[in-house]
Amino acid sequence: MGAVVTGLFVGVLFGFILQRGRFCMNSAFRDAILMKDNVLLKTVFVALLVELIGFSIMDMTGAIAINPKPFWWGANLLGSFIFGIGMVLAGGCASGITYRVGEGMVGSITAVLGLSLGGYITAAGFLKPFKANLQAATTISGADGSALTLHGILGMDYTTLALIILLVVLAVWYFIARKNGEEYEVDKGWGWVTTGTLVGFVGILAFPLSAAAGRNYPLGITAGWINIVKKILNPAEVSLDWLGMLIIGIVLGGLVAALIAKEFKFRVPKPLVLVQTFAGGLLMGFGAVTSGGCNIGHLLSGVPQFSLGSILAGISIVLGAWAASYVMFVLPQKND
Amino acid sequence: MTDVTPTKTLDVCGKICPYPDMNTMTTLKKMEKGEILEVLLDYPLSVERMPRNLKKQGHKLLSSEQLDGPNYRMLIEAHGLK
Repeated sequence: MGAVVTGLFVGVLFGFILQRGRFCMNSAFRDAILMKDNVLLKTVFVALLVELIGFSIMDMTGAIAINPKPFWWGANLLGSFIFGIGMVLAGGCASGITYRVGEGMVGSITAVLGLSLGGYITAAGFLKPFKANLQAATTISGADGSALTLHGILGMDYTTLALIILLVVLAVWYFIARKNGEEYEVDKGWGWVTTGTLVGFVGILAFPLSAAAGRNYPLGITAGWINIVKKILNPAEVSLDWLGMLIIGIVLGGLVAALIAKEFKFRVPKPLVLVQTFAGGLLMGFGAVTSGGCNIGHLLSGVPQFSLGSILAGISIVLGAWAASYVMFVLPQKND
Repeated sequence: MTDVTPTKTLDVCGKICPYPDMNTMTTLKKMEKGEILEVLLDYPLSVERMPRNLKKQGHKLLSSEQLDGPNYRMLIEAHGLK
C-alpha cells in the first residue's frame, strides 16, 4: 500500500469532478463537428492551460521533473487514430466511460471491459510483439536518446516555452472573446471555466503524488485498467499500483457525485449497443497501448509537457473521432 | 407548460451518447412547424447540451422538467424545416 493510496484520493476527486462537469473528450471533439457545440472543447483547453501553469511552476521549483512520452510516429499515428474511432463507438473517452460506470451506465461498463481486455492483450498478450515492433520501428529520439519535445526542438527550456504559449493563448483568447462578445454561460451543471480549472488542478495534484509512488507522470487511465486486470488474473503476485487505485477512485467518485445529484440509474441500452460499446472499448485499449497513452495519458498529461509523441497522438485521436463521427452520424443524416 | 398536448412522444432513456440528442433532432426535422415533441431522457449531459442545440436549430424548448432523479421530460415546439 503506502504511497499508492494517494491514487485513490486523486481518483475520487477526479471522478467527482468529471461527473459534475460532464467532462468527456469524445463529446468535446465529436460535438464540435456534429452539433457545432464547443462548450466541452473549451473545457479541455482551460484544463490544459491550468496544467501548463502548474507543471511549469512545479518543474521550475523542483517539485517535479517533467517526463514527456517518447515519439513513436507510426505507433502514435495508428494507435491514436484507432483509439479515436473506438471512443466514438464506445460513447465516451477513456475517462468518460470510467466515471460513467459510477453513474450506472451499462454501456460504459461493457466499454471499460473492452478497454481493459483490448489493453491487456496489446500490453501483455498476443498483440504485444506487433505493438513493440511498431513502436521500435518508428521511434525518433533526441541525440542524447531523450524524448522529442517541442521546447527541445526549439532549443528552449520547458518553462520559457510554457510562458510564451500561455501569453499568446491568453492574448488571442481575450481578443476572440471580445470580438464574439462571448458570454460565460452556466447551465445546471458546472460551467466550462470551473470544470476545466478543476480538471487542470487534479492533473497538477496527480503529478507529484504519482511520482512519490514511483511513477513520474500525471494522470492516465488505460494502464490503470490493465493493472486491475493483472491483479484479478494473479491476485497473489500483482499489487494494485497508483493508476489502478486511481481508476477505483474515479468510479467511486463518479458514483458519489451521481448519488448526491440523484443521477444514479442503471441505464441499459439495447444488446446490440452493448456489443458496439464493447467493440469500441477493444479498439480503444489496443489503440491506447500501441500509442503509449489514451486521451488522458497523451492529451491531458502529455500535451502540456510538450511531448511531440503526445501532440501527434492528440491530433490523431481527434482525426479518428471525426472520421468515425462522420461515418456514424453525419452521413446517415445526409441520406435522410 | 405541462398542459400542452404533445403531437408525438420520443423516449430516448437508456441511449448512449450522443443518440438522445441525435434522435431528437432527426425527429424534430420531420415535424411540421408548431407541432410539439415530448422527449423523455435520462442522460445528464444531453439534458444540459440539448437546450443549446435546440436554440441553434431554431426549435423552441417549451419546458424541461425533472421527473425524478436523472429522468427528464422536455417539451419542444418544432421549427418546421420541412
